[in-house]
Amino acid sequence: MSFASRFTLISLIAAVAVPATALAGPPPQSLFMDNCSACHQPTGKGIKGAFPALAGSALVQGDPTLLTTTVLNGRAGMPAFKDDLSDADLAGILTYARSSWGNKGAPVTAADIAKIRKAPPKARGLQAH
Amino acid sequence: MDTYAGATTGGVLTRRRFFEGLAAVGGISLALSGMDALGFGMASATELPPELTGGAKGAKIVILGAGLAGMTAAYELSKAGYQVQILEARSFAGGRCQTARKGFQHTDLIGHEQTCDFDEGLYINHGPWRIPYHHRSTLHYTKLFGVLLESFVNDNDAAYVYFEKGKGPLAGKPVRKGEIAADARGYAAELIAKAASKGDLDAALSPADRETFIAYMINEGRLSPKDLAYTGTEGRGFSVHPGAGVDPGPGKELPPFAFKDVLDSKAWRVLTSVSGYEQQRTMLQPIGGMDRIAAGFEKHVGAMIRYSTVVQKIKQNGKGVKIAYKDAFGETGEIEADYCLCTIPLSVLKQIDLDASKPFKAAMEKVSYAPVNKIGLQMKTRFWEEKHHIYGGHIYNDMPGIGTITLPSTGWQSDKGVLLGYYAFGGEAVKVSMKTPAERAAFALAGGQKVFPEYTDSFESAFSFSWHLAEYNLGGWAEWSQDGRKDAYPVLCEPDGRLYLAGEHLSYLGGWQAGAIESAWQQIAKIHARVQQA
Repeated sequence: MSFASRFTLISLIAAVAVPATALAGPPPQSLFMDNCSACHQPTGKGIKGAFPALAGSALVQGDPTLLTTTVLNGRAGMPAFKDDLSDADLAGILTYARSSWGNKGAPVTAADIAKIRKAPPKARGLQAH
Repeated sequence: MDTYAGATTGGVLTRRRFFEGLAAVGGISLALSGMDALGFGMASATELPPELTGGAKGAKIVILGAGLAGMTAAYELSKAGYQVQILEARSFAGGRCQTARKGFQHTDLIGHEQTCDFDEGLYINHGPWRIPYHHRSTLHYTKLFGVLLESFVNDNDAAYVYFEKGKGPLAGKPVRKGEIAADARGYAAELIAKAASKGDLDAALSPADRETFIAYMINEGRLSPKDLAYTGTEGRGFSVHPGAGVDPGPGKELPPFAFKDVLDSKAWRVLTSVSGYEQQRTMLQPIGGMDRIAAGFEKHVGAMIRYSTVVQKIKQNGKGVKIAYKDAFGETGEIEADYCLCTIPLSVLKQIDLDASKPFKAAMEKVSYAPVNKIGLQMKTRFWEEKHHIYGGHIYNDMPGIGTITLPSTGWQSDKGVLLGYYAFGGEAVKVSMKTPAERAAFALAGGQKVFPEYTDSFESAFSFSWHLAEYNLGGWAEWSQDGRKDAYPVLCEPDGRLYLAGEHLSYLGGWQAGAIESAWQQIAKIHARVQQA
């Protein structure tokens, strides 16, 4: 299978997978609003000097592995979401961010996330600090 | 030698049995030296600041940030003769060591403006709020600065636990922690004691130990010595309290819950044999608010602080450092010094123009910061004390976004009180922080109402804080992954040229004031050693 046709196939699977996710849980846009927009803003423009813009971001539209790792494990001050989001929900959120505000990144599937995630989400402890 | 022989029965020589064996043979001292030899040393963490002797040689240090790390460094360095200047972005000192009381203002990065409207004398510690007894560094300064302390109730058997996600009749029902503890441990002890008495545990117990073990289980679970049954115990509470005369007289004990119901409830999650290292039962808090500690430092180093001064560039070369800043009036300026101690959180520092090596900057990328929410709710009555007889402590629960509800350990039996309506971390905290302050209060009230019927009716005003949305913090505390701790953390603990970092993020006491203080101690000792050699 050529790269191009495989890509098409993945896109097709993703296109089918996203509505399935929407049936199972909240739609990707509301997941984004709940989990991301406090910092990155509903417009994806972020807050200057504090939170980077997702709109037009090379990281957001580029290699999904790096993007997924960043959201799962946190980086450069960004929190880790590995214990808060399921593979399906995270796939929905990333796909939403990669295709909104003029972004043109290919969809990400729950299977993609599962490959990158090292451990399943862990319940939070009752206390800290 | 019986005990030593016992330690090896069953073919399993556990670490603990080994030490017990040593104690039996050679007394406690042999056991202790054995622990040292195996790396279970009894040596304590740093409890006193480094002694900076030999003079400062006219060296000038610029400190970025007037939080506890920065002020600790300023206090100790200036005492040793250094010229010290602190730049602080905010108009007040303390960093995360803040207390909200009447008039305290905060605008978060989304633009939510709040002015705390609690009654005089009431407050919420929306940052650090408790000091474990073993945080000797923090306690060193509270004592030194005369900051008076009071007990912080970190464990209360009378407090409710509330778990919605369990099963059975106890799910979604406030139950006192002591009732769950008595029943879970009582029934478990009964099972174990009965098994031991039948000889089922003989592989692990010598005949001589068996009787002692059963006696221990009877004591642990408050079992009947006759039939080893757990049938409840008076310590878990009464439906009619004992009192005078014949009525109420002896009172009426509450019957135990069924074992299955306790297991199904999942409320046993709150029980462990000992509390975690950071969650000791004996904790302290400054009388009048955590910011009394910041005020204690400020009294000594306040004159060195330049407030409302935001760092814009950190430049350095072989001869010194140069810090470019912008002040409250928008005026820019520069400060030069021999060394820089930077306590700015890494989440904020990464956005500042910084002269540092590539590996150092790469290491800075390897940390994440925790989203953290707190909300203080002023209640017009202390219904938790008056109606529920709960004096301080936590309402552990599994409500997403609420985390912990905590009742105040101060102002006992006064008219009103401020309780902690939620204390949540991570993604749950992010979701709630999206809301307006009024919506956050409504969210907190809806959660607490499930536990206390008086909650919403008693509510008067709220003050909420989200650390990830606080400018100059961008997170509650640093979180290191295992890889980050291994590869990046050690890099940042060492200086990069003339730049030294300090703060809770460079300690294994992350998120605690003791981490900030001890990190500062470590770094100023390094600066001082370098000055001595120069």
